[in-house]
Amino acid sequence: MTVIDWFALRTSLKRAAPALALYTILLILYFAVPGKSQLIAQILFYAVLGQAFNIFMGMTGYVDFGYVAFLAAGAYGFSIAILLLSGVGGGWMFIPLGLLIAAIIAASLAGLVGAIALRLRGAYFAIATIGVNEGLRYLVEGLNILGGSIGLYIVKDMKELVGREGYQLAATTLADMLMFLLAGVAVLTTSLILSTRMGFALQAIREDEDAARALGINVTKYKIAAFMISGVLGGALGALNWALKGGVVEPAQVFLILYTVEAIVIVMLGGAGTLLGPIFGALIYIGLNFTSNVYIAPVLESAGIKATGLHLIILAPILLAVIIAAPQGLVGAIRSRAPSRLREIVV
Amino acid sequence: MTKQLLVVENLEAGYGEMQVLWGISLSVAERGISAVLGPNGAGKTTLLRAVAGIIRPWSGRITFSGEDVTLSPPHVKVGKGLVLVPEGRHLFPELSVEENLLLGAYTKLGRYNLEESLDLVYSVFPRLKERREQRAGTLSGGEQQMLAIGRALMARPTLLMLDEPSQGLAPKIAIEILDILQRLRGEWGLSILLVEQNIVKSLEIADYAYVIEQGRVVLEGEPEELSKKGDLIKAYLGI
Repeated sequence: MTVIDWFALRTSLKRAAPALALYTILLILYFAVPGKSQLIAQILFYAVLGQAFNIFMGMTGYVDFGYVAFLAAGAYGFSIAILLLSGVGGGWMFIPLGLLIAAIIAASLAGLVGAIALRLRGAYFAIATIGVNEGLRYLVEGLNILGGSIGLYIVKDMKELVGREGYQLAATTLADMLMFLLAGVAVLTTSLILSTRMGFALQAIREDEDAARALGINVTKYKIAAFMISGVLGGALGALNWALKGGVVEPAQVFLILYTVEAIVIVMLGGAGTLLGPIFGALIYIGLNFTSNVYIAPVLESAGIKATGLHLIILAPILLAVIIAAPQGLVGAIRSRAPSRLREIVV
Repeated sequence: MTKQLLVVENLEAGYGEMQVLWGISLSVAERGISAVLGPNGAGKTTLLRAVAGIIRPWSGRITFSGEDVTLSPPHVKVGKGLVLVPEGRHLFPELSVEENLLLGAYTKLGRYNLEESLDLVYSVFPRLKERREQRAGTLSGGEQQMLAIGRALMARPTLLMLDEPSQGLAPKIAIEILDILQRLRGEWGLSILLVEQNIVKSLEIADYAYVIEQGRVVLEGEPEELSKKGDLIKAYLGI
């Protein structure tokens, strides 16, 4: 269709507004609160992780346990671009080119995995995707490709491309700003999907895939499309977070299944299928993490108790409580109890 | 001879290694009602799922309106007017009655005739109009079945396939539903492929019937003929 659906565009902007406002507040805090910019950046990383993951899990109900593989694909894709440019030059071009290659690799991986694994349902899909993640990791490590188990170090190459000071900027403020931009893109993509036929199709699939099929919805097409969109956003996130910001892409880190679990936790805490859910989820998760590591753990340690990973122990009962008391997450719970005026805002 | 809208020839299908259908042939005439009867586990649901494209036929041929649709995916078949009302209704319980109906108009044909279809469905099922704002999950069993049929009608089918529409309903309501099917054939010019447990009533509204057992057609004919072979039906269906 060549005609732009203005109605869908307007609805989606209206839907996206509250989430975009929250990210703007985070952006202001990033510059306004001295010494806490990296805490904000961490919240941002997890919010975007949840946002990107949510497009697929929240809308289709499928849980991709190998989701972090897309982040890895993006991180490697970005690094490949840098290695290609290194020695050739190209300066700042490495960022758009890196993101492009990251997106292409993540999209191809999603298309390939989706076309096979999306024929499975429920737990079988989850197991198959874990297999993909672990398989890719052992492929990289075992065949010793892309730096093998040591990984790729690209700091030197980035410095060659844009100079020492350029790199300093790229790996700090610029990387974080691009992450904010990615957050906006993820929110707008989600709200646009929710406001179009694709959103309705995906929600029908989530509620009852057989019914969706009987209605004449091409379920495979929409599932793969959502999987690819979610994968591309994940790829961009991995590229920004590990390759650009970290300068190191090592398999032990980028294939770490913990990130997938964290994405699930954040989406469940905040509310699956909602726009604000991942932001709230990330705030709670990082808030808890920060409080326990900075305030509680030192007290315990001074008493002789080692308290690494304390936040996970606190998080477990909270997550259980949320699943029992508010299975639709924080945003879902607010939405179902709020008066209808407010309900429109909290989508 | 009347024109056949749906022709199924030597259809074989199953799940994994297990073959369920062993060469089923049947047809539905234009504006006709064909009934498929048979005991539990005979392959009735599998037959409808294979015709609808939800499972892939292993071999055989499915022709719809003269077109080979054997391997077409379900959304293509729905677009052509071959619509299944699945067993167990599969409504969206959290959505309202009207929202469920609107989702039925997902196909191109359905979208273009949205308002008209909605009026038509409400005229066939006035109860749904009364309860349009109500959540589908709170409807009675009979109303839920009406909604499932109504939702399928929103796609503007030419052939409606129903998998045990009277399942779990009080006998009176079951008969009401089957009467509505006859009305739909008359007023909408629909063709219907009906899988049912209510044998007496099905034979009353159908113009052709098939008895299947263990994935094969064991008996077929016009209802009057079949009724004459009372003892045969009894042997196969246990009534």
